[in-house]
Amino acid sequence: MEETRIGLYVCWCGTNIAKMVDVENVAKEMESMPNVVVSKDYKYMCSDPGQDLIIKDIKEHNLNRVVVSACSPRIHELTFRKALENAGLNPYMFEMANIREHDSWVHTDREEATRKAKTLIAGALNRVRWHESLEKRTVDMNPATLIIGGGIAGISAALEIADSGKKVYLIEKSDKLGGHLLNVDLTYPYMYSAQEMIKPKIDRIENNPDIDIFLNTQIEDLTGYVGNFQTKISQDGAEKELKFGSIIVATGLRAFNPDSIKDYDYANFPNVITSVEFEAMLKSGKILTKEGKEPKNISIIHCVGSRNHDYHEYCSRTCCMTALKYSNQIRSALPDSHIYHAYADMRAFGKGCEELYTKTSGKDVIFLMYDQKNDLPKIKKASVKDKCEMLIELNEKLSGESVEVAADMVILMVAMESNDNAKTLGQTVGVSLCGNEFYIEKHPKLDPVATTTDGVYVVGSCQSPKDIPDSVSQARAAAARILAKINYGTVEVEVTTAVVNEELCCGCQTCVCVCPYTAISYDEEKNVSVVNEVLCKGCGTCGSACPTGAIKCRHYTDQQILSQIEGLLSKSLELQEV
Amino acid sequence: MSFQPTIVSFLCNWCSYTGADLAGTSRMKYASNIRIIRVMCSGRIEPTFVLKAFREGADGVLICGCHPGDCHYHEGNYKCLRRFHLLQKYIKQMGMDEDRLQLKWISASEGKQFAELADSFTEEIRNLGPCKVKEVMETLT
Repeated sequence: MEETRIGLYVCWCGTNIAKMVDVENVAKEMESMPNVVVSKDYKYMCSDPGQDLIIKDIKEHNLNRVVVSACSPRIHELTFRKALENAGLNPYMFEMANIREHDSWVHTDREEATRKAKTLIAGALNRVRWHESLEKRTVDMNPATLIIGGGIAGISAALEIADSGKKVYLIEKSDKLGGHLLNVDLTYPYMYSAQEMIKPKIDRIENNPDIDIFLNTQIEDLTGYVGNFQTKISQDGAEKELKFGSIIVATGLRAFNPDSIKDYDYANFPNVITSVEFEAMLKSGKILTKEGKEPKNISIIHCVGSRNHDYHEYCSRTCCMTALKYSNQIRSALPDSHIYHAYADMRAFGKGCEELYTKTSGKDVIFLMYDQKNDLPKIKKASVKDKCEMLIELNEKLSGESVEVAADMVILMVAMESNDNAKTLGQTVGVSLCGNEFYIEKHPKLDPVATTTDGVYVVGSCQSPKDIPDSVSQARAAAARILAKINYGTVEVEVTTAVVNEELCCGCQTCVCVCPYTAISYDEEKNVSVVNEVLCKGCGTCGSACPTGAIKCRHYTDQQILSQIEGLLSKSLELQEV
Repeated sequence: MSFQPTIVSFLCNWCSYTGADLAGTSRMKYASNIRIIRVMCSGRIEPTFVLKAFREGADGVLICGCHPGDCHYHEGNYKCLRRFHLLQKYIKQMGMDEDRLQLKWISASEGKQFAELADSFTEEIRNLGPCKVKEVMETLT
């Protein structure tokens, strides 16, 4: 057997690791570990010079294993595997020790953090010794795409893909396409008509032969893997099966119900309405109170259900600008009205938005700031002498004064929240929810439309509250990703699958029972289990269940993990009593 | 002098490992006794892995997986749960305190919960004192 020659690289990550872990000492001390041929520390291992260092050493020192001790493998494992490949080494002869997310960033004692780094590296060094070369596998890419959700995000993605001549199945749970935009009048900051934007797109979708539209439809289940998914959909009780290679989830959002905020008493004041209701009013062309009169005093309360620990901690992003848009529309329709904003902060980021704020401020609109965290405004019934229907009491933050504002109509800028079926759908398509119940992207900065399930993308407000341009950008980004894959024709699939050693297999079929993908079948002639590598996703459950040790979970073998445990717990690296 | 327990933690890649990463990116602080091993699914965690950790000197073993219903592989966490209950019984029969082995659900967004769990589990094991398995095994051999 070939001699094991390991290269160890300890990353500083600037000061991110080096501040809490003595990286130079670690690199020096670990050099004496068995089979370590070179051990180096470097400022940024993931940078080009960092990778070149590895590539050069592999060739120069004839390395056949590499351990990089740096950030989470979830961030840079693929980067370094690629580097190994460039040096002519099998990419699986690599292991990472996570000394940033799991060490330098979470501990406060430099000595302890340094010792812990050594144990993690010792584990990785022990593990990598047992790594084996694995060969890449590719499968054909089904060029069809399933899009779930027919709002602006889903529509944009569908058109982008279908315009390239590729098949799209567009699924919508309601009876029409268009989503929330159907209920919007004008859009901020340029006051384009929402209907003029969305209607032609819907027409194009309906007339595009490459797009099959399924209204009143939900997906029942999902099987398969990137490039080769299939699902059962039910439309008006009828079931149908679809096959496709990629999925875009574009299920959008719903409006927050303000009933739970007692101080606004939405349930009992007829003229306290939500932004959704006011938008409908604008679309109908008339701003009227429930009594059919034109309101003289209109107040707009911001952040209803947003940025408050009792409701949602996050900012819903679009409400500030929508509220400014309302001011402009009210000013045009009712030139003599009084318009008040009760706001927490004015968030006017994005192209044209600060300009809209400046323009609105010059239109005799009054802005009153309140404390969103601890002191919400209160809406109460006015008395006859007030000559209005309601009064809003608030402690104005900038002036420090308590003020009362007359109101005939109050518009609550309600938060965006995730759909009630987000969790169920997420479980069906294999996408997790974040703490705010929006879908989690693969990486918040570097991979914002993909998810941890290969071939499944999230776009629009189901991922986080978004305005129209952001939703459209995300949708088209996902479409581009998918088109690139379709164009390539094949996709790489998981190679870390399970494999049966027929000599050891006793034919008990325990693995057949536990496999969640029915990837294992029983060969009656040979009396052994057989793994279908295309269906296997490498979870390793069969490996744990196999009583004879006949199943090997590639890249997560018993030997690899047991050795890692030994390394982590090596006596010389034990924690000292303090 | 306070006893510094050594803890091995097995985390599934998709939820719990990501949750532990999030604790890092959020710069939450927790006890440095915990040493993490990544597996793709909590369903991959063999009883042998846990026993090996105790054999090699771990004072506590913490397994974390996706919340029920959220498993990336549909149901690996349920299989882990079944094995966990048996394994707890087993280590008790061996004369160990069953609380040295625990299973908790940590989602990808629960960085804070992971940091708190790392601290509370470390404290619990500290109170239980050193696990003697390794020592006893060495005397026997």
